[in-house]
Amino acid sequence: MQCANDPRRPERIVRYVSPQAVLNAQNDEKKDAPNDDLTPDYMNVLGMIFSMCALMMRIKWCGWVAVYCSCISFANTKYNDDTKQIMSSFMLSISAVVMSYLQNPMPMTLPFTG
Amino acid sequence: MRRRKSFLCPATLLPMLMLAISINLMSGTSEAAKSNEYADIEDNDFAEFDFEDETDESSKVEVEDEDDEFDTNVEDEEAEVEVETENDDEFSHFEDDEEFEGFNPKEDHEDPDEFYNEPKARPEKATPNPPKQPIKIVNIPAHLRTNWENYYMEIFMIIGIIVYFLNFFTGKTKNQKIANQWFNSHRSLLESQFSLVGDDGSKNTEDIQEPLTKESENIFTFWCSGRVCCEGMLVELKLLKRQDLVGVISTAMKPAHDQVHVRVEMSPEDMDSFIFCIANKKSSLRLAKEMNDLATYCPERRPADKFDIPGSYFIMSEVAEVASAMLDAKMISMFRKYPDAIDTIHFSDQFTGPKPGEDQQPLELPQGKQVLIFVFNILTGKDKSLDEAIEETKPLMQLVFYCLDKVKRYKLSREAKTKADKNRTRVAENHWRSIHAVKAEKAAEEREKKRREIKERIREIEDPEKQRKMEERENRREKKKQQPKMKQLKV
Repeated sequence: MQCANDPRRPERIVRYVSPQAVLNAQNDEKKDAPNDDLTPDYMNVLGMIFSMCALMMRIKWCGWVAVYCSCISFANTKYNDDTKQIMSSFMLSISAVVMSYLQNPMPMTLPFTG
Repeated sequence: MRRRKSFLCPATLLPMLMLAISINLMSGTSEAAKSNEYADIEDNDFAEFDFEDETDESSKVEVEDEDDEFDTNVEDEEAEVEVETENDDEFSHFEDDEEFEGFNPKEDHEDPDEFYNEPKARPEKATPNPPKQPIKIVNIPAHLRTNWENYYMEIFMIIGIIVYFLNFFTGKTKNQKIANQWFNSHRSLLESQFSLVGDDGSKNTEDIQEPLTKESENIFTFWCSGRVCCEGMLVELKLLKRQDLVGVISTAMKPAHDQVHVRVEMSPEDMDSFIFCIANKKSSLRLAKEMNDLATYCPERRPADKFDIPGSYFIMSEVAEVASAMLDAKMISMFRKYPDAIDTIHFSDQFTGPKPGEDQQPLELPQGKQVLIFVFNILTGKDKSLDEAIEETKPLMQLVFYCLDKVKRYKLSREAKTKADKNRTRVAENHWRSIHAVKAEKAAEEREKKRREIKERIREIEDPEKQRKMEERENRREKKKQQPKMKQLKV
């Protein structure tokens, strides 16, 4: 029996609905809730750009930067995000590094060192 | 019958000579002294193929078998002595002693360079020699030699990645520890206020295994419900990004705190129509720009000095009397006792989240929610341990429940209520007007587009008579549309 000062009301329990689920119900396409941290998305895109530069222009340091971008994206990703995106970003960046060394096994040179 | 001829054919003689030369080079002068033996061995080698020796029946058979293979493997079997039947006439000159002038197999061979068989060769020749393998000289590329110091950048990069992942695991573990510690220390207080503490989505509330939900490596949430006055309370522990090395470096450069975001969703009948916010300077600037309800209803920011609140806090309130009512003695004492621990207190009955972007304007007027939002800092530092900092947030959680009950009881005065209702009506009207303007613009654009399409179709018609008729029809239609619509009465 609840005393008068007890604020608890079991009959007023409302189950939790995540904001993401609410947004998905409202919109057809899956959209992130506004005000979300966009760091993983930016790092993903940046990683892909650097990977492409490393593969096409054979620039080794771009490959390494792509690997770092993938790592940062992985560290900041949310649990309900798609892991396939992160994995493909990792694979792309690692393959960019491997391909650039297979084509030219010489040590890396940074752009400003010449 | 002798089968010596095939053995002595050019195809076998050349490889045998090469083998013999190589053996000779390997043996050296000391073995030259054993020339008597070598002469005998040489004789014996040739005797091996002497099939007139009746005691050696097995070798005869073996030689016959070898002979079958000999024709196909001529070059490989250079060391093996194989005999095939051939005409004696072809090689009869080898039997002639006069053919090899100066050659006396019985003489001692003193010349070390002269070809002679070694005693060692006999056991080798008893077993088949392995085929001669060409010597491969592999070119080792210059860069793969032992000068790893040239790859210092790559080694540095790999070390960086290892350090990053080490930091990831340690940061992740630390954040998990902080979240668990905070939840466990406040659990009893929360369970005294709510029937349900933590919801992981299980069907039955009794089957909930993990009340604390991990959104990411630095954000943990849990939901509480089953209380008078409110529908529920969402608590978000937004910790520092200890799992991200870049986050760690940015925190070191620009200090920040772990935060607790509490959002209480009030029932519509439990909260009157007012909007009030008090926040520190930085947060108030951000909220005034970003939050839709504050930007719409509370455009002015006033310093909180008037209420003797220490620190640089700013108040945004729709109606002035709400600020005075909310900032009572208890609230002010909490601000004084825990300076810097309270980041934001935001009460709103029109909460719709952040302002939508220019291209994301909603067509329908968004329905505002009644919420109470509290943001507290967990102040860990050199002179304060984590346990102490977490204990300090307990009175702040008590403040949440105090405000909850206060908002439930608070009612606006008649003037304030009228003003608030007027504001909401004005905002709704503005919204519908803007929507209407947008809709009208869209409709005009569509009409213009249709008109252009019809004109294009008319131009494409080749027959000038048809074209003229179509144009006249269009002109008549447009004139009819432009005429004012009048009701016609049929008499």
